[in-house]
Amino acid sequence: MYAFLAPKTLEDARGFLESRPNLKLLAGGTDLIIGLREGLVTPDAVMDVKQIPALTQIRQTEDVLEIGAAVTVDEMLRSGYLSGPYHALYEAGEELANILLRNRATLAGNICNASPGGDMLPACLVLDAWVETIRPDGGRRIPLREFFMGPKRHVLASDEMVVKTVFPRAAGKSAYRKKKRIRGHDLAQVGVAGLLGADGALTLAFGACGPTPICLDVFDTNTQSRAEILDAAMNGIAPIGDVRASKEHRQEMARYLTEAVLDAIEEVRV
Amino acid sequence: MKAIQLTVNGGAYKVFCPEDITLLTLLREHLHLTGTKEGCAAGECGACTVIYNGKPINACMVLAMEADGAVIETIEGEAKDGVLSPLQQAFIDCHALQCGFCTPGMIMSARALLDENPTPTRDEIVHAMEGNLCRCTGYEPIIRAIEQIAGGAQ
Amino acid sequence: MSHIGKSVIRHDGVQKVTGRAEYLADIKLNGMLYAKMLASPHAHARILRINTEKAKALPGVRAVLTGKDDNAMVGIYMVDRSALAQDKVRHWGEAVAAVAADTEAIAEEAVRLIEVEYEVLPIIFDAQEAIQPGAPQVHEQAESYDYIKGVFHPEPGRNIANRTKVRRGDVDEAFARADVVIEHTYEQPQVFHVPLEPHGTIVQWGAEDYVKIYSSTQSPFAVRDLFAHSFNLPRNKVEVIAPYVGGGFGGKSGIHLEPLVGMLSKRCGGRPVKLIPTREEECATLPSRQGMVSKVKTGAMRDGTIIAEEVEYLWVGGAYADYGVNISRAGAMTACGPYHIENVKADSVTVYTNHVFGTAYRGFGHPEVFFGIERQRDLLAKELGMDPVELRLKNLLMPGKETITGELITENTGRVDQCLKVVAEKLKVSEDYTAAERAEMEKTGKYRGKAAAVLQKSPAMPTWSASSAIIHMNEDGTVHITVGGVDFGQGTYTVLQQIASERLHIPIEKISMAPGVNTDMSPYDWQTVASRMTVLCGNALCDACDDLEAQLLEMGGVVLRAGKHELGLADEHVYVKQNPHQRVSYAQICMGYTYENGNAVGGPMIGRGKCIAQGLTNIDPETGQGKTALDWTYGAHAVEVEVDVRTGDVEVLHMASCMDVGRVMNEAMLNGQVVGGVLQGLGTTLSEAVYYDAEGNLLTRNLTDYKIPTFKDLPGNLDVSYIETPQLDGPYGARGVGEHPLISITAVIANAVANATGTEIYELPLSADKVRAALRQTK
Repeated sequence: MYAFLAPKTLEDARGFLESRPNLKLLAGGTDLIIGLREGLVTPDAVMDVKQIPALTQIRQTEDVLEIGAAVTVDEMLRSGYLSGPYHALYEAGEELANILLRNRATLAGNICNASPGGDMLPACLVLDAWVETIRPDGGRRIPLREFFMGPKRHVLASDEMVVKTVFPRAAGKSAYRKKKRIRGHDLAQVGVAGLLGADGALTLAFGACGPTPICLDVFDTNTQSRAEILDAAMNGIAPIGDVRASKEHRQEMARYLTEAVLDAIEEVRV
Repeated sequence: MKAIQLTVNGGAYKVFCPEDITLLTLLREHLHLTGTKEGCAAGECGACTVIYNGKPINACMVLAMEADGAVIETIEGEAKDGVLSPLQQAFIDCHALQCGFCTPGMIMSARALLDENPTPTRDEIVHAMEGNLCRCTGYEPIIRAIEQIAGGAQ
Repeated sequence: MSHIGKSVIRHDGVQKVTGRAEYLADIKLNGMLYAKMLASPHAHARILRINTEKAKALPGVRAVLTGKDDNAMVGIYMVDRSALAQDKVRHWGEAVAAVAADTEAIAEEAVRLIEVEYEVLPIIFDAQEAIQPGAPQVHEQAESYDYIKGVFHPEPGRNIANRTKVRRGDVDEAFARADVVIEHTYEQPQVFHVPLEPHGTIVQWGAEDYVKIYSSTQSPFAVRDLFAHSFNLPRNKVEVIAPYVGGGFGGKSGIHLEPLVGMLSKRCGGRPVKLIPTREEECATLPSRQGMVSKVKTGAMRDGTIIAEEVEYLWVGGAYADYGVNISRAGAMTACGPYHIENVKADSVTVYTNHVFGTAYRGFGHPEVFFGIERQRDLLAKELGMDPVELRLKNLLMPGKETITGELITENTGRVDQCLKVVAEKLKVSEDYTAAERAEMEKTGKYRGKAAAVLQKSPAMPTWSASSAIIHMNEDGTVHITVGGVDFGQGTYTVLQQIASERLHIPIEKISMAPGVNTDMSPYDWQTVASRMTVLCGNALCDACDDLEAQLLEMGGVVLRAGKHELGLADEHVYVKQNPHQRVSYAQICMGYTYENGNAVGGPMIGRGKCIAQGLTNIDPETGQGKTALDWTYGAHAVEVEVDVRTGDVEVLHMASCMDVGRVMNEAMLNGQVVGGVLQGLGTTLSEAVYYDAEGNLLTRNLTDYKIPTFKDLPGNLDVSYIETPQLDGPYGARGVGEHPLISITAVIANAVANATGTEIYELPLSADKVRAALRQTK
């Protein structure tokens, strides 16, 4: 039995973070509620962050694209912001589960769940996103490339909460490709995102190819051949075999999807 | 126990319920609206689909407390004044159900789709219905039922 | 015919589309308690100690049971399972203890407070190793188990729950003179049924042992029979109610949670106790379809004539026999498919292992048998350089030939050859791709291939399997039908309404059927399984209609002052054939006829009918010869697939299915069975498999990792057609078809993949992962 908290301001949220040591945050709930039901998490309180107006915002400025922690994936997809260099985010969002879950799931939730195969994560990594957090005594900015510690593990403290995910201004073209067991909704066996800048710099990121999502940068498509890039990328990942895919299949599909990502984005090259 | 207020099928409800139950449990056990089914309790099957503030969602993936102030439509609200909606009739006419356990969720997902897009293409139907599993029909007649409504709207 | 064959809409549609249809989970009784189970975290372990003190002390807990308490032994054919594990657990997820409490939450908490100490034992997972002498045993006391003697043949000490043998001719001699002999081994994992509604039951064990059971079951009478047997109760003290059932696919036949929940209710002083397994328990604690290892050796002459076949089917039965022993028996009866083969040796064996245990699943062993058999036919054709369709046509069972169990095929049995010709023609299976098409495949890496496969199934049920029906008239001449079989979506009740409408000359909207079955009120029906309802229950209803018709004619004759032979039925009236204007309505006579002066004669009309399987025999234990098939439904599938050799993805571009159904009773519902069955078969083929780790722990514990087809997983298109070779003893010539569409889907896809890529795959599922692995090995 846990208490349900629904603060309406960041200040109230901060207060709960301080006063409730065994607190779980609820955004979309698509992972948390399963954990609660199975008894995998047993918090004293669940704090719903969706009542905090600041967290429901999605906005683009000159410098950044900010997505509040309570924004659902479906709202992101409909926002019109996920184009150009952010297109990988759109493709990842479209591939995340199904419409019923996209109407609930959030980007921040996908990040904080820290699953190695989380669909949104490779796209966030290639776009060099960071999260901004609050804590009782302040808050910080954490680059996602330093965020993931292992399967379902991240650097956040227990009294820390993500308020938004921020994408720096980007140029170029990005894409996300995913392999799954059926054509319908499924977790990624492998997910690959890539961002190719106008200058030919290429960043790749891989889901379900190691204990955390893996970001590999930066390749130079001006000097490296595709084969060299693929070989180097494959050396940078370490997939395992599990119930969803064999190790060999993951390795092959990582390479295949990387090629598919490159096919999708490389026309930007001049 | 906490009190929440919500609107279900146009009716206002004030409910006292435990803080650790899902919206699905609230609907089924507290409001006795058992048309919404539980198939997996993990957001995988869509049997508990309801329209929540205008969006189709899995009721098993929402906590009841979150629904404070929400506007919800369930299968019980689909027929009006004892008359089946055209969508319900199309499901029957197109043989789009067998055991019927997935049917309420199917109809709610289809309802949400048609509310937003009265003339969906086959691809749009498939995309919108992907989260609803059916083990009996092979899906094809369900697509036809929705297409029939979409065709009628055109 | 005004109703037979028409796509009449289903009788229960309105209830289902409004959410009004009441399933087990929707039922609440006064004073009801909620049960939860504690599942084993090991696949094979001795239970050393169970401490339930903390659970019992929790407020709101009304009963805690373990295997040490009163424990019922259950089993439909082999009584080998206790409602709660006793002494040891035999599969991951087996129920070890159970709690009944005031709320689900309390029951859940109580279950977490139960402490169990296990001693882990080595697991027995490989069926071939399990049957070796000296192998560790899943059941040490197998010889003490009760079972139906003479029908099943267990081999205690060998982990063998049943062996069925077929012996015909002399295979050794035939293999010696065959031009070609091929031998292959095929492997299939267990699969889950995944009805959208989990199992569920409410049991109220009242005073003086009056027991009322609500259950999501396909088999209310079997539940009654087996429950009463387990607890030594008279049948009239056990009442079983099946409400709307949300899918079964075989998994809800037989008996499952009812004994456990019954014991809990008894412990709680007769309060009703409800247990609905979670989806996770549905996967781990409730049974699955058996896995299978099949070895098939085939001898043929150069011209394609198959002269000998030797098969060994090892069914991975899991921890308990359940239906498994009868499935292996059914597998033996159909061991070589619908082919005429003179020399046959078949051994079909249910093997105890530490997997989740197996039970009936749509097709009852036939999908498993046909994966090997229909793969083998294509492999033989390849070996002989023959067209696989041609090879099949040369060997298929035709009128005048005998099955491998000595049953004579007649003109009325059905025509598998025609089914095959239809689908092969539709997809031009025997035509090669053009050079241009081949070049395109090379270029894209997407290789197309085609194949066809045949199928057959008979009900595979006990020789005495019976149905009955009651039809009574209401005051206004409308009609109500009651049967003991369950309509859990397949449409049986609608077909029964069509039959009654046709027979009694009453509009279909005047014929009603209540949902569900109550064994105290409904007439007996063995079980709703085996694709037997249209045939057996339909025949029972025809018999009941005859009975009612005789009563209508008798009363009509009294009123119209005419002999029976002078009367006919039309338009809800009894009329004089020669002078049709002389007539009396059903409404005027069905509750008795009242003369002008007030005198009344007759009385309420009730028709009753019955049907029992005709002419079936037990089989010879040494040779398997006998008549086990009430009716054979034949069919065939053809498919064109596209294999992306870079990813291993198999896309089903086109399919054609054709079944010889005898008579189409309701075309839309028949299509529903075929389209649904084919997609379920595609799931078995492409994605569905139960996986375990090396310790025997279940890995596919929920729908996150057990993937069934979604809206996005439909084949490109599916052309469905029927052949109607009347079954002379079926209602209007119909035969069963509920299970058949799923059979041979695995084989036809695997054959098409081989045709596309040249790579032979012997193991299911054909997931992209496995297809790539096979391609890697051959390239």
